[in-house]
Amino acid sequence: MLKLIKELSAIPGISGRENQVRDFIIEQIKDYAEYKVDPLGNLIVFRKGRKPANHKVMIDAHMDEVGFIITDITSEGFLHFAKVGGINTAVLAGRRVKVGSKGINGVFGIKPIHLVDKEDETNLPAADELYIDIGASNKEEAFKYVQPGDSAWFSSETVEFGNGFIKSKALDDRAGCAILIKMIQNEPEYDMWFSFSVQEEIGLRGAAASAFTIAPEYAIAVETTTAADIPGVKDDKRVCILGSGGTVSFMDRSTLYGKELFDRALELAKGKNIPCQVKMLVAGGNNAGAIHKSRGGVKTLSVSIPCRYLHSPACVIKYEDAESSLALVSALAEDFAK
Amino acid sequence: MSDYQNVSSLLKVLCSANGTSGDETDAANAAAEMLKKYMNVEISPLGSVIGTLDGSGVHILLDAHIDQIGLTVTSIDETGFLKVAKCGGADVRVLAASDVTVHGKEDIFGVVISTPPHLASKEDEGKVKGFDEIAIDIGLSKEEAEKIVSPGDRITFNGSFDELLGGRFASPCIDDRAGAAAILRALELLDGKKGNAKITVMFSTQEETGGSGAMTGAFSVQADEAIAVDVSFASAPNVSSEKYASLGKGTMIGYAPSLDFEMSKKLKLLAEENEIPFQTEVMGGRTGTNCDEIQNSGRGCRTALLSIPIRNMHTAVEVCDEADIENTARLIAAYIAERGGMNA
Repeated sequence: MLKLIKELSAIPGISGRENQVRDFIIEQIKDYAEYKVDPLGNLIVFRKGRKPANHKVMIDAHMDEVGFIITDITSEGFLHFAKVGGINTAVLAGRRVKVGSKGINGVFGIKPIHLVDKEDETNLPAADELYIDIGASNKEEAFKYVQPGDSAWFSSETVEFGNGFIKSKALDDRAGCAILIKMIQNEPEYDMWFSFSVQEEIGLRGAAASAFTIAPEYAIAVETTTAADIPGVKDDKRVCILGSGGTVSFMDRSTLYGKELFDRALELAKGKNIPCQVKMLVAGGNNAGAIHKSRGGVKTLSVSIPCRYLHSPACVIKYEDAESSLALVSALAEDFAK
Repeated sequence: MSDYQNVSSLLKVLCSANGTSGDETDAANAAAEMLKKYMNVEISPLGSVIGTLDGSGVHILLDAHIDQIGLTVTSIDETGFLKVAKCGGADVRVLAASDVTVHGKEDIFGVVISTPPHLASKEDEGKVKGFDEIAIDIGLSKEEAEKIVSPGDRITFNGSFDELLGGRFASPCIDDRAGAAAILRALELLDGKKGNAKITVMFSTQEETGGSGAMTGAFSVQADEAIAVDVSFASAPNVSSEKYASLGKGTMIGYAPSLDFEMSKKLKLLAEENEIPFQTEVMGGRTGTNCDEIQNSGRGCRTALLSIPIRNMHTAVEVCDEADIENTARLIAAYIAERGGMNA
């Protein structure tokens, strides 16, 4: 699964431009399952198990990543952009991007620190002062390579480092996609539905449609969630810890997870000796927020891989958490379906 | 006469080497290797690369600094994260969630921590943490980290040598590998035709931390005249094109009270005669470059400054235009030929 996570994270696919990610996933699952692409671009997969399911279960992961959309080109050839998804301005200046269908190189420029007033040395430029420099000398040169409406995404090498850590862009939620692919490739006990969803990062657009189409009784959103186990953060704000297993939420900003399902997840993990932790802060949200409100309501859980520096070019996960999340989601899916 | 491919390939090799102030060996070796093609090379007590081509006439020193800014490890915390201080004028605004290399017993990968959005308070909006609050995540426990990393180890900012449009390039150490590339290119353009001038090339250490390399190197060299080649500010959004130079519009000839006015004027004249694109950079006192140290070394040395305009100075995405490096090299070559009596 490590190879899958690395390959998936390297593919560009901001919200609304997930086609390359989808094509890659189809290649991985087409020999194992039936699939279709719905009107919004969600990849809906039915994997036949060894037995028919007594309860219909859907497993969701989103294909899109945060990034940028080019809004305008200045007469000097610089690109203005809008953020796609929740990106902190602090992680932009000095970073690199790929731009447009040709994937040309660009950088986020900034006024040199030498020219900044002393009191502004730890102040960021306003978001609307940021721009992408592709080296073009004027608008005409830039237009040969980029049009307003084109996407841009973080240029970030995927690196394994330290004691089992992975750094890349887009681990949110390609790591989740990798888990779903593995579940499809491993024959499940029961028939199982999967949604590789589009447009999570701009407000859970895709999963609302795929949940409607699949109409499950139970669902699990497989995600990454913010981990703040870093220096300077007090214990009660760390949310979750890398290396402590998949993270199960009782509540976040999009969903109140059913207490019965939440308890069942923790019991199951304990019974099967699967590392698992509880998300220790009510923060964030994910596709569960759209799925649990689908049709007449869906019993929904989310299992997340803890991820440092979420929504940055350098997301960091620990590989063993992806493996324990795969084990937990597989066990839960079987438990719900039986 | 122009061979742009050559300038960018020179620059690429120089930018691939690592050399934070005080720990320049790798970059100095790379530059020395390239300089050996033209002259004998020595390493000064403070690590600067110094090469000389003999001549009976005027002794001209060409200087570019070989160090780059970075960070230095100050301690390893209980959870294995590295605490750091800056080494040279690093910019903390551009570090969150960036890739770095820690040059410990072996080179290891790290990420500068960034504050997750759920912890960002309203009053902290638009603020970044200072150097005393940031840390490097290397994915190791304290015990594991201590086997590889020690306080004092240097940290460089990762970033490949990326080509942009129009012969422009991005790298974390254009400052001042572009200057070194310009000098090496000038030697190539001269092709030995320097007349009777004596040429010393110095790739000096520790410019970013005060210029100790150039100060001591210039003392040993005792040249008659010096040209320091460094980088300076190019205009960009929020960096006024009225106040600053333009990328790609030519080498910047420096004027300052501390610079030798005759040398500045001679450089301008030669640029005009040889149709070399140039821009003017005027400073009110000293220059903030190695010129300040070279001028005051030993008995004193007449000094000029040529600057290559770059954007985003002291970030991992310093951007330069190869044409500016080529034009800087052409002007240096023209100056040496003139002073060596080749045009007489």
